[in-house]
Amino acid sequence: MANPAPASTKGIAITEHRLANGLRVVLSEDHLTPVAAVCLWYDVGSRHEVKGRTGLAHLFEHLMFQGSANVSNNGHFELVQGAGGSLNGTTSFERTNYFETMPTHQVELALWLEADRMGSLLAALDDASMENQRDVVKNERRQRYDNVPYGTAFEKLTRLSYPDGHPYHHTPIGSMADLDAATLEDARTFFRTYYAPNNAVLSIVGDFDPEQTIAWVEKYFGSIPAHDGKQPPRDGTLPEVIGQEIRELVEEEVPSRALMSAYRLPHDGTREADAADLALTVLGSGESSRLYNRLVRRDRTAVSAGFGLLRLAGAPSLGWLDVKTSGDATIAQIESAVDEELARFAAEGPTPEELERAQAQIEREWLDRLTTVSGRADELCRFAVLFGDPKLVNDALGKVLDVTAEEVRAVAAARLRPDNRAVLVYEPLATADADSDNAEEDAA
Amino acid sequence: MSTFVPTMTFHPQPQPGTPSPWAFPAPSRSALANGLTVLHCDRPGQQLVAVDVLVDAPLAAEPTELEGVATILARALNEGTDTLTAEQFAGELERAGATLDANADHPCIRVALEVPVSRLERGLTLLADALRSPALPEDEIERLVANRLDEIVHEQANPARRAAKALYAELFDSADRLSRPRAGSAESVKRIDRSAVKAFYDAHVRPSTATVVVVGDLTGVDLPALLESTLGTWTGDRAEPSKAAPVTADDTGRVIIVDRPGAVQTQLLIGRIGPDRHDPAWAAQVLGTYCLGGTLTSRLDRVLREEKGYTYGVRAFAQPLRSAPDGSGRALLAISGSVDTASTAPALADTWTILRTLAAEGLTDAEREEAVQYLVGVAPLRYETAGSVASTLADQVEQHLSDDFQAEVYRQMAVLSTQAATDAVVSGFQPDRLVTVLVGDASVIRDQVKELGLGEVTVVTS
Repeated sequence: MANPAPASTKGIAITEHRLANGLRVVLSEDHLTPVAAVCLWYDVGSRHEVKGRTGLAHLFEHLMFQGSANVSNNGHFELVQGAGGSLNGTTSFERTNYFETMPTHQVELALWLEADRMGSLLAALDDASMENQRDVVKNERRQRYDNVPYGTAFEKLTRLSYPDGHPYHHTPIGSMADLDAATLEDARTFFRTYYAPNNAVLSIVGDFDPEQTIAWVEKYFGSIPAHDGKQPPRDGTLPEVIGQEIRELVEEEVPSRALMSAYRLPHDGTREADAADLALTVLGSGESSRLYNRLVRRDRTAVSAGFGLLRLAGAPSLGWLDVKTSGDATIAQIESAVDEELARFAAEGPTPEELERAQAQIEREWLDRLTTVSGRADELCRFAVLFGDPKLVNDALGKVLDVTAEEVRAVAAARLRPDNRAVLVYEPLATADADSDNAEEDAA
Repeated sequence: MSTFVPTMTFHPQPQPGTPSPWAFPAPSRSALANGLTVLHCDRPGQQLVAVDVLVDAPLAAEPTELEGVATILARALNEGTDTLTAEQFAGELERAGATLDANADHPCIRVALEVPVSRLERGLTLLADALRSPALPEDEIERLVANRLDEIVHEQANPARRAAKALYAELFDSADRLSRPRAGSAESVKRIDRSAVKAFYDAHVRPSTATVVVVGDLTGVDLPALLESTLGTWTGDRAEPSKAAPVTADDTGRVIIVDRPGAVQTQLLIGRIGPDRHDPAWAAQVLGTYCLGGTLTSRLDRVLREEKGYTYGVRAFAQPLRSAPDGSGRALLAISGSVDTASTAPALADTWTILRTLAAEGLTDAEREEAVQYLVGVAPLRYETAGSVASTLADQVEQHLSDDFQAEVYRQMAVLSTQAATDAVVSGFQPDRLVTVLVGDASVIRDQVKELGLGEVTVVTS
């Protein structure tokens, strides 16, 4: 290659285990720093929610921090932080994750805590926790979405992109009405359905003794019964292209006009998804991208212009365009320039230099994600839960670097088209930046 | 209705093993022939190398009528050099898998490069070119000025940014640069052109008053030679380092409501100034402030979030503003968060109750112990990446602290008494010396807030 990869992409050493109750365990040692990450992915996300109960998976994630049989209300935070660790949980469309990064000598505590709530959350869950965390989550929704300009754009685009009844039609934060409607019994049923060792993957990455650690995992998690009550999520497959442009005008108190579009893209885990990632990078990631050069530098019609990729395994991924206008520029000006650039790209594909740059950018982002033990632990769980094999982590970058310019062109031609997008146009009402393209909700 | 009987086997809570020794990394110091000070630190395994350059171009050095010029200069450093156009420069950075971010703040302009170690030389060459001979092209500067004017409109619409702007304007004397937005106002930014940016560059950007911090896996890297052949080509005259003016503030207790009709939440920012890192009580203040509002089990969130559900989270913090070797610098001490509109006055009332109780009864030994365990224990994790180490080393340089300052803070913290932590946080967060900024719907919250007696209440609309 003309632009050789950094020497460090030699791969992560991985060992796998499975307990009798079905809990999958993935270990990866790294003794450079005396810390280790414990990460637990449950195979449940907002796509498993039913109509009238949107936001339940995320609200439930908050309840997981409210104590269990041997852990007091907020005991997780107190004990982990008191041990010099950091922790949180997040909920996305496709999974819920919980993680503790601990000093090496405190890893056992994290395992004990995770096992206690996996096996006994319902012994502690009560109305007081439910009512309190319902209010906290509603305030989270207000803070991150309802009270900031363009805050609900991602929610609106998701609703437009996936049809009514589709498991990805709503975002993890859920609606205020559904958050109000959720009951304690809903939470209990949710736990009984999805929180079981055979619906989870535990990864541990960092400075630990593997034999000792597996013995601890067996000791703390081994007696938690498996449970097979889970229904698979509703099918998320859709036709490859939408077939017509879907459009919504939003007149709100926002500081400037904005054009946001979501394109339906290939599922995560496919070669086409990697090609789409490269296409979006060339077109709209960073200050040498085509759309930045066109709209921000040359036309000067935009303050910011960029593409993001929301990789999804159980439904089409989303390519998300976000352009905020500059001065008096109109949406029509922006839109015709965007369409011109997309059409040109679909016809010509990336130049060799552009492809090289895009690959180098993706490589750096990948390196960045794998540079911490917690980042690696999360990726191991991701590949195990969504694609069945944590070792795939070691091929992921190579696959992106292997994609050809023609494949990038082809996916752009097939997918980055006006008839394959949902469009949200913001027109300011009077006077009123915070983007929220967050596909995840945090507990804290 | 349901009784849940767990069937798993329970075991007692495990006890910790033996901690591994860890200390904040000590950098090595050297200098290049052009006068550039170098701090470097080898962090095995960290393949992304972090390079931070501190340029002695404080915001106080901006001409008043051209405030924002330091920010425009910082942003223009990315817009091409004597050999590369802006587009080419951005492309070359991306080709190296590198990012280059420059930001102007009160103490200095900070330029941060992050690059895989395998392409360190290319990254350093681009960084050196950006500092040594930025093109500062007229048309790109015009664009950066226009973008900044757009950005101001967006900032006005963002509750957290709006609150910060109002608090700084209220707290500091209007003659102090601290009272005005870091990146300039619409009025001053409009006046900025290439000649203003070039003049600011010529006056303040030179290697002899600058420092570079390099952190990462430097195994097999001949750093001295690499730095000489890249940043060593940056030339400039010698100059005296700038001197920071002392920081003063009017912390008479009062309330400013920035009206945002229809807002579903109120953004809170409650602050005053306090000691910076030169104060002997800094470590105690960090500890005490964590106990007050460092996490969701701290005093504020224990009530406001976990008992009352008023908020997604409220934090207390100390943010150094401008420091000097003689200790005349100060930090902003503040409590920040947002609460649903109806809970505004109740949340403020609880906050003041918490502060008064803290002053009357002090922290408990258990709180102090948990805070020490967290703050000291989490350090190896907090400083896992090269970027986080570089950033703290750069903070130390910027604030005129010794290179072992952070290491010393950890040593002090481990042995601090509960009383010392109490004294520091109580003297920092004095209930009657806090300026409260509320960005929210004035028509709903004003009367209730007035009844709280937190000082004079003023409503502003822009």
